[in-house]
Amino acid sequence: MLDDITIKNVALMELKDPVAVVGSPGLRSIGKLAIDQLITQTKAQSLADLYSAHLPTIYQTQPSYAADPSLPGMGGAVVEGGNVDLPRVQLFASVEPPLILVRGYHANFEGQFTVGKKTVDLLVEAGVRRMVVVAGFGTTEKKLCVAANTQALLDEMKAKWGLGTGYKGPFMGFSGLVFGLAKLRGIEAVCLFAGTQPVEEDLEYPDNEASARAVEQLNKILGLMPP
Amino acid sequence: MNAEIKILKPIQPQGLTLVVGLPGIAYIGKLSVDYLITQLKADLFGEVYSKHFPPYVIIKEDGLVELLRNELHVHRTEAGTDVVFLSGNAQAFSPEGQYEVSERILDWAIENGVKRVYSVAALVTDRQFDAPKVHVTATSADVLEEAKAKGAEPLEHGIIGGENGLVLGLAKKKGLEGACLLTETHGYQAPTGEYVIDPRAAKAAIGVLTQILGVKVDMEPMEKQAMEMDEAFAKMAEIERRMREEMTQQGKRPSYVT
Repeated sequence: MLDDITIKNVALMELKDPVAVVGSPGLRSIGKLAIDQLITQTKAQSLADLYSAHLPTIYQTQPSYAADPSLPGMGGAVVEGGNVDLPRVQLFASVEPPLILVRGYHANFEGQFTVGKKTVDLLVEAGVRRMVVVAGFGTTEKKLCVAANTQALLDEMKAKWGLGTGYKGPFMGFSGLVFGLAKLRGIEAVCLFAGTQPVEEDLEYPDNEASARAVEQLNKILGLMPP
Repeated sequence: MNAEIKILKPIQPQGLTLVVGLPGIAYIGKLSVDYLITQLKADLFGEVYSKHFPPYVIIKEDGLVELLRNELHVHRTEAGTDVVFLSGNAQAFSPEGQYEVSERILDWAIENGVKRVYSVAALVTDRQFDAPKVHVTATSADVLEEAKAKGAEPLEHGIIGGENGLVLGLAKKKGLEGACLLTETHGYQAPTGEYVIDPRAAKAAIGVLTQILGVKVDMEPMEKQAMEMDEAFAKMAEIERRMREEMTQQGKRPSYVT
């Protein structure tokens, strides 16, 4: 039924120079919470859904983004608001300002590159030249920091918003790969990391405070009015 | 991007030799090739990306993000021939991925008139030694003899896991000549399971490899690194010895947990 990837275009929308914002359920779910907040706030409309046989509903790894080649997870359906569907990466569009909000979903080990690459391809097709990724990083400090794929963008974040670097190390999962793949497709990308205290028993346990901190900063970067 | 070579600067290699040193046991291949790249100031001209590399990115100290990748550097020797070094921060994860990446690189090398393929790998041993031996296995008796003349000893039997071995096996299958240098190492691992670098072994490999390639490099920085690791290995061996002693002593008398 599904080979590797299926795209369902939910709506056709012409956006002028849209900026992509990417988040997924990573450390303390900060990326997912932030994207959900932005979707609500901007009243963004569903643009496209990306389905893949590599998207499990039940992960055998803890956390879900710690992909392991021997633990592919289990396929299945998801039920949201009384509706059943398959797990998917969702793209939402906001016209003013022009944004494509990407609600990411972690593929299993086998499919991470395939899903990440297809997502970036979709963004390129939609005319995206700039991407902002939002995620969490483990620290005891309530701070924000950035990483980017160009020095110019790091300099811009410092000059405009006073955001410096502060995290080094691996960045796993959907958002990390999309962030890394952006450069190969000519998209300049910055990641806003919100500091959060990891909860060892459940690394994806939501941190609403850190997410709100990230959203507040995203509102400024994206030129959105605060909620 | 099952395996994709992104050429940053087109090159037209003359009498091409490909040298492969990817991360593996004790990082001997990677250390050796990275050292030669640095010392020879070889030019970065290509990057290799693959969906078979581990699926995460690295945020570097300077805040820039990097996909896991392999790199291609080129150095022109005094003889006017080109050496292309393949190194990087990852190997493909699965056998299928390793075949795909290795074949892609070899096909590129063949398109560019490759003459020889060399790789550097580790030979894990329990043998106690003052200086590690460099062993060699080759695609033909002639290449083996050449490596022997530079100080390498033939490897009678064994396996070479990963792309540093696979690339040579595939080179032979594609009708290319080449050899793999395997340096002895104890293959120490950190408690996390990661291999500890062995610059002493890399230095031995470089000693043979530079003769084969006809290049000269300053070995002092590598010797300094090797001496630092010698001290670290000596400490690790001492800790191991003490732990064994303690365990033996504990075994001699009864112990109770209350």
